[in-house]
Amino acid sequence: MAVIVLGVSHHGAPLDVRERLAFRPAEVVPALERLRSVAGVREGVLLSTCNRTELYLVEGEDECAPAAWELLAERLGAEASGYGYVHRDREAAAHLFRVAAGMDSMVVGEAQIHGQVRDAWEASRRASGAVLNRLFQSALLTGGRVRSETTLGHGALSISSAAVQLSKKIFGSLAGRRAMVLGAGEMAELALASLQHEGVRAAVVANRTFERAVVLAAQYGATAVHYDDAWDALADVDLLLCSTASPRPVVSAERVRTAVARRGDRPLCILDIAMPRDVDPAVAKLDNVFLYDMDDLQAVVSANLQRRHGELPAAEGVIGEEVEKFWQWVAGLAAVPVLTQFRDEMNRMRERELQQAMRRLGDLSPEQRAVVEHFSQSLMNKFLHEPSVRLRAAAANGRGLGVVDAARYLFALDERAAAAEPVSRPATRDEEAGE
Amino acid sequence: MTAIAHFIAITLYLAAAALAATPFARPVAAPVRGVVTLLGIGVLAHAAALAAYVLRVGQLPLTGLGPSLSFAGFVLAATLLVVELAARDVTLTLVAAPLAAIPTLVANLMGMVPGVEPAGARGAWLVAHIALSFLGIAAFGTAAAAGLMYLVEHRDLKSRRFGAIYRFFPPLATLDRVNHVAAVAGWLGLTLGVVLAVTYSLAYRELSVLKVIWATGAWLAVSGIALGRVVGGWQARRAAIYSSISFAAVVLLYVAFRVAETNGRGRFL
Repeated sequence: MAVIVLGVSHHGAPLDVRERLAFRPAEVVPALERLRSVAGVREGVLLSTCNRTELYLVEGEDECAPAAWELLAERLGAEASGYGYVHRDREAAAHLFRVAAGMDSMVVGEAQIHGQVRDAWEASRRASGAVLNRLFQSALLTGGRVRSETTLGHGALSISSAAVQLSKKIFGSLAGRRAMVLGAGEMAELALASLQHEGVRAAVVANRTFERAVVLAAQYGATAVHYDDAWDALADVDLLLCSTASPRPVVSAERVRTAVARRGDRPLCILDIAMPRDVDPAVAKLDNVFLYDMDDLQAVVSANLQRRHGELPAAEGVIGEEVEKFWQWVAGLAAVPVLTQFRDEMNRMRERELQQAMRRLGDLSPEQRAVVEHFSQSLMNKFLHEPSVRLRAAAANGRGLGVVDAARYLFALDERAAAAEPVSRPATRDEEAGE
Repeated sequence: MTAIAHFIAITLYLAAAALAATPFARPVAAPVRGVVTLLGIGVLAHAAALAAYVLRVGQLPLTGLGPSLSFAGFVLAATLLVVELAARDVTLTLVAAPLAAIPTLVANLMGMVPGVEPAGARGAWLVAHIALSFLGIAAFGTAAAAGLMYLVEHRDLKSRRFGAIYRFFPPLATLDRVNHVAAVAGWLGLTLGVVLAVTYSLAYRELSVLKVIWATGAWLAVSGIALGRVVGGWQARRAAIYSSISFAAVVLLYVAFRVAETNGRGRFL
């Protein structure tokens, strides 16, 4: 048995390739069913997002990668493997864990992928099985661990969210804070939407073109004012968002000083996202005024991004631990066929010896025969219980393959397997527990 | 027993401060539960030290320099613990835990030698006065710690530095709120403490000039900040500057009087 992942992602495939390889939810199960029928795949999950299309497969007897690449090539209309990658076993598990934790995302640490991995697993449930179910469960758990144990997902990564982050650093909660918007451009609208999402109330919108101010004000439940009347309102707001198209600064230190004098000690945060800048840099020197321009917001974003990358080694530590746990579980599965074969062999031996014993005992009543049969069955189960438990435990704690091989050798299972007839019997509790 | 428990408390206060400072070494948030646990066990150890002292000498740790310093450290640490449990933010530990550790360390070094404590009603009066005054000073110290942190973060935000302080200090508004509540609580505690002291002096005709000067200075300082905040509309940077400087001045005045009294004849607190 091998776990493999193959696919394409933003690392190696351009957008037009990724677009063509994207699968709708309704297409997932048919594609996986096809692989199961054609390539003997035991289990499959298909993860398709805007940045990646990946097939997670549990191989049967034959290698299934060629058939999977063929499936993707048909969809792409060209050879797909040149854009992609294949990982096997531990590397496949580590890859999925990194994906679920956002470590492989275009924006490192983004949280959306966690839900996308969960959705992909849900959409593929009919084609997945014990191994992939366990793998995806572990991946979601690992994603959660990475998020809680590192700061990989912390910090704003867009200009508008950096504006929110900076404002929160001054005011704490932004709920109920009042904002004035100067200029009604697209950037102002974006930043205002982010701030409003945090509870900021757009109080005043001022623009050179009054009609545009009216439209934006109506959209955000604010009051539109003429440009020249905006300065009086500055004393009453907590945030000033500047985004005019003026070629020179329109917010002078003098205008802000007058407003600040009427504000008492209340801080005023000015976010100047205009290019060229709307606010005279001298405004930053005024008491209780915090002025940030595009460079500052970009610096916040860059610092956050750099810090996220700095957290990758810590996140890799979590990935390593979880891969080890998952692989121990997989190794435990290797004991199941050996246990089955071992029991079958012992059962055959028991039946042979029982028949001989019955012949020697002569005429026995049905009750007596049942007692002897029960005795032989019970004795065999008791003999096999401890070795079965220990074999499974050894396999699960990482010593699996050596112990499994030793069991095969000691009981000559490989030689006997070729000659033996399969014995029909119900699965024992030990075997069922191994899925 | 008292010395060992003191040592444990000091170690835990400093360990809590060190743990609260981890964000400066590695970009992860300070573990709130860990810091609060260390601080909580430190407060328990400190309480055990004071309880052992009470059992040993048979009086409360409110008279004598060592005992009163230790009690002041205990009240400050306990106040910090309450504030942090309420705010779920442990950044204040950076300043306030060392502030609690220092008087406790001094108390341990000087020895827990009790002063003369009057009995009966006089004793109860004195105990209430000292306890309320210590509570007032601890709250004033908390206001000063929040103010100091406000000023440090304010400077970073104004100069657009987005380093560890930016990431891990609480928002300015939170520090301002802590400063406000602590200043008002400090004023209440010290006002009641001073009222009890005045009535005690009048009733029993006991007066220490230095104590009166220092207590008046401390009360005026905390009244200034409380009135400024509640009546004068002070907030943010102005309140932070005033509370930090006035608390530092009160501590310096205390030290100056201590030195003067050591060279003189009387005993000052």
